Amino acid sequence: MEYRVWECMVCGFVYDEAEGWPEEDIPPGTRWEDIPDDWSCPECGAAKADFRMTEISRA
Amino acid sequence: MPERIDRVVIVGTGIAGTTAALTLRAEGYQGGVDLIGAEPHEPYRRPPLSKELLAGRIPPERVRLKPPAAWADQGIALRTGISAVALDRGRRRVRLSDGGELGYDRLLLATGGRPLRIPGAPTLRTLADALALRARLDEGGRLLVVGGGLIGLEAAATARSAGCEVTVWEAGDHVLGRVLPGWLAAHVAAAHLRRGVDLRTGTPVEAVSHTSGGYRVAGESARWNGDHVLAAVGVAPDTALAAEGGLAVDDGIVVDDRLATFDAAVYAAGDAARLPRGRGEHWADAQEQGATAARNMLGQDVAHTAVPWCWSDQYGLKIQICGRLVGTPETSGDPARHDAAISFVHDGALCGAVCFNRPKEFRDLRSEIARSEDGSQTVKA
Repeated sequence: MEYRVWECMVCGFVYDEAEGWPEEDIPPGTRWEDIPDDWSCPECGAAKADFRMTEISRA
Repeated sequence: MPERIDRVVIVGTGIAGTTAALTLRAEGYQGGVDLIGAEPHEPYRRPPLSKELLAGRIPPERVRLKPPAAWADQGIALRTGISAVALDRGRRRVRLSDGGELGYDRLLLATGGRPLRIPGAPTLRTLADALALRARLDEGGRLLVVGGGLIGLEAAATARSAGCEVTVWEAGDHVLGRVLPGWLAAHVAAAHLRRGVDLRTGTPVEAVSHTSGGYRVAGESARWNGDHVLAAVGVAPDTALAAEGGLAVDDGIVVDDRLATFDAAVYAAGDAARLPRGRGEHWADAQEQGATAARNMLGQDVAHTAVPWCWSDQYGLKIQICGRLVGTPETSGDPARHDAAISFVHDGALCGAVCFNRPKEFRDLRSEIARSEDGSQTVKA
């Protein structure tokens, strides 16, 4: 399955499943649904529910 | 019978204008949308300009608001590098800097703000500003930031982390005077002082002059010589088009809580708009204003009641601020250790909050503040 990219609708922070977010112990390859629901956007602090899956190309 | 809305013109490609354009489509509006921006770039996010982009951690492509094709895909006629220069409300037409004209049924002025200037000193507002400053900081050396607000301190933190020698001059008696009380701002100032930033309050600038290799800056009580200067002393709303069109302007384009001006066909949102509760200068609030303005332009009747909030990141310290910081503060945690949530209770109701490195707690506080402010509005009405 392809890794997906999720974008914070508030600040535009991008969560890429392929890269994970090792700064908060989320290893590369972590699926969006496996991230705890009380996780917050590392940039602005918005809720996980404020992210949308996006077709943004990986930079 | 409600008036038919076929042509919406939005002036301004910042977050208020772009959110309005996207919201029109999300609400099912099928008519024309013209989105006009004076900046040459496609719409982009400003918050990283003083943080990740300035630090060089992300390339300019990553601050794009949407992939380039997204605007056309949404049927939004985006034109950048063009400003609106005249507004004829009688004929409902906007004249553009390229000589063209656009007619509208509804017009949204999301013209944003212009940084206040200190003659001779660069500012940080646009992507072009940020890229220019980044190139200068890459040289290292000494930077003077004039202004200890959010943008000034974020830029100072980024430059210090990149190895520059950083001085901050703030005219007021404490930093972050517009967003935090002094006793909380002191904990943010401490993060800078601890890293060797020469941070001075009560130090207004008198003159900035170029020298052969850099800048010389004079204040009432201080002198500084160095390589780079940044003026971060606030923003003035860009009200030129509104004033030209005869709209009411008073520290912003005067609108009601529906974001409507006294002309029912013309709305304003974002940094340029002054609502009954005042004018905001923060990203998330501008975004929400853009969405509310779009819905009202389509004939819905939605008040802008969202509680304003903002965030900052300095040396990894996440600061989040929401609502009105009045009344009695109740602190949990230790602000000095940058791990705290401070609630502000006024007349028995939670009305504001500040968090240091507590994003989850902030989210809960923000929801609670929204609920209690809603409640107070219902009672008042």
